[in-house]
Amino acid sequence: MKDQGAKMKVPESTEEKIAELVRRNSEAKLGGGQKRIDAQHAKGKLTARERIEALLDEGTFEEFDRFVVHRCNDFGMEKSKIPGDGVVTGHGTVNGRPLFVFSQDFTVFGGSLSGPFGEKVCKVMDLAVKAGAPIVGLNDSGGARIQEGVVSLGSYGEIFRRNVLSSGVVPQISAIMGPCAGGAVYSPAITDFIFMVDQTSYMHITGPQVIKTVTGEDVTSETLGGAKVHNSKSGVAQFMCKNDTECLEQVRKLLSYLPQNWEQKPPAVTCADSPERADQDLDDFIPDSSKSPYNMKQLIKKVVDKGSFFEQAKHFAKNMITAFARLGGMTVGIVANNPMHLAGCLDIDASRKCARFVRFCDAFNIPVITFVDVPGFLPGIHQEYGGIITHGSKVIYAYCEATVPLITVITRKAYGGAYDVMGSKHHGADVNFAFPTAEIAVMGPEGAVNIIFRKEINQAEDKAAAHKELVDNYRARFASPYYAAELGYIDEIILPSQTRSKVIRALTALKHKRTFRPVRRHGNVPL
Amino acid sequence: MEIKAPMGGKVIKLSVNVGDKIAEDDEVAVLEAMKMEMPILSEEDGTVAEIKVEAGQTVEAEQVIAVLD
Repeated sequence: MKDQGAKMKVPESTEEKIAELVRRNSEAKLGGGQKRIDAQHAKGKLTARERIEALLDEGTFEEFDRFVVHRCNDFGMEKSKIPGDGVVTGHGTVNGRPLFVFSQDFTVFGGSLSGPFGEKVCKVMDLAVKAGAPIVGLNDSGGARIQEGVVSLGSYGEIFRRNVLSSGVVPQISAIMGPCAGGAVYSPAITDFIFMVDQTSYMHITGPQVIKTVTGEDVTSETLGGAKVHNSKSGVAQFMCKNDTECLEQVRKLLSYLPQNWEQKPPAVTCADSPERADQDLDDFIPDSSKSPYNMKQLIKKVVDKGSFFEQAKHFAKNMITAFARLGGMTVGIVANNPMHLAGCLDIDASRKCARFVRFCDAFNIPVITFVDVPGFLPGIHQEYGGIITHGSKVIYAYCEATVPLITVITRKAYGGAYDVMGSKHHGADVNFAFPTAEIAVMGPEGAVNIIFRKEINQAEDKAAAHKELVDNYRARFASPYYAAELGYIDEIILPSQTRSKVIRALTALKHKRTFRPVRRHGNVPL
Repeated sequence: MEIKAPMGGKVIKLSVNVGDKIAEDDEVAVLEAMKMEMPILSEEDGTVAEIKVEAGQTVEAEQVIAVLD
């Protein structure tokens, strides 16, 4: 729409007016033009519109604000106006359910954010909340449109505020499919999940050039804020994808587990996998030696509906598994320690990952199933200096605050404070199971005996024999699930092979769980 | 490519020798920590160029166990 007006023939007849609309529509759909579209493709990226088509059910996209242009009259910007102004917005359906979407168009002013750009994004965000439908943002933007000055910053602020107010109302999902730098990172950061495309996306607050100037360090955008970094080191992103197409497929998959908004239950699917299916392999799955690790992920996959295990944040804090899955066709959130990594200990990263996931599930009516094999909190100076006390307490907060059904299965170790933290009865879990291999105690037998019987061991003639006898006695009494079961802390000690049916029956019983909380403005999560 | 101890503990077994060709997820050593024997797995395919620790040795988190070519 460059230099519009003067030479353009004013349409007079109805036919001409219709032709004019068709012409304007097709012009708008070209975004920044064929050359820039080709450049986008050459980078292995889809365009903003192609991404929307890949995300939504075929042919369901309805676009808003196609003819919006910027209002900037400085720096020669008045000569360059492109319909849409760098973002494509609207709604459509995914798996037949409504969804609102905005997709930043890198071919138009580098996807930079102007005032009208922000207004378009805010419009669909507001509608998503009114309509009670999820909002997905596809990010590919050079940042603020500098020519617009503080108008651009104002727009970012309007978006952030909407992200905050929509949090816990409708699911908010971000996909980073190109640059996302500076203040722009905070909108995705407030949303529930971040997907990143490997090699073509990055997120950082300050870029390599600024870092070079300030600290002298040489880094690339990829090593500073690429998909691998944010999925494995920082924990900022929860999904890493090979390319745009895979990324959008994964977003669709995630949406299939989620309700449309906080008032709805997640969609139930028909389940071909029998709820009563017993898996005999599970009866000899836990190793004889409690020192031997095993892969908790394999155990979970044997319990949940076949093919339904969908992990989030799988590259970050691998000692903690967080995943969506289905049990008897019902969506559940799975939380589990993984003894394969860091002995399954709780540490800062694992605590943050777990707490945020549990709070997401609780916000959207997704029951939480917790599988416990935790030897304790990870000891060390780094953990203490890093604030494990604060971060660990987030997990407590998340479970105690949760009002969704909570079911816990202790497969092996549940020691010390970590026993309490991981979905214990005392923190409000509704049904607590344990395998016969469970060890539920304040600490391991050796450590406990050394403290309780220090005097007796020192006075014994044969110290080693005395120690061994005391350890054996302690183990028999406390390193089992029976003492906890005597107290009612464990509702039932189950055969591992029956885990699936036990959990599904509990879930069915708890379907309409109601809890009541004291009235307050809001709690004070140890952030 | 360095293979590092994920946490502090005692190396109770070295599972590879210098010159061995190993694949991603192959066990390089076994670490005992928090009363758990954990395999340390390679994150990449490669050849073992150097082993930096001995069996029985106590290591700290992030200490290099072996180097791959």
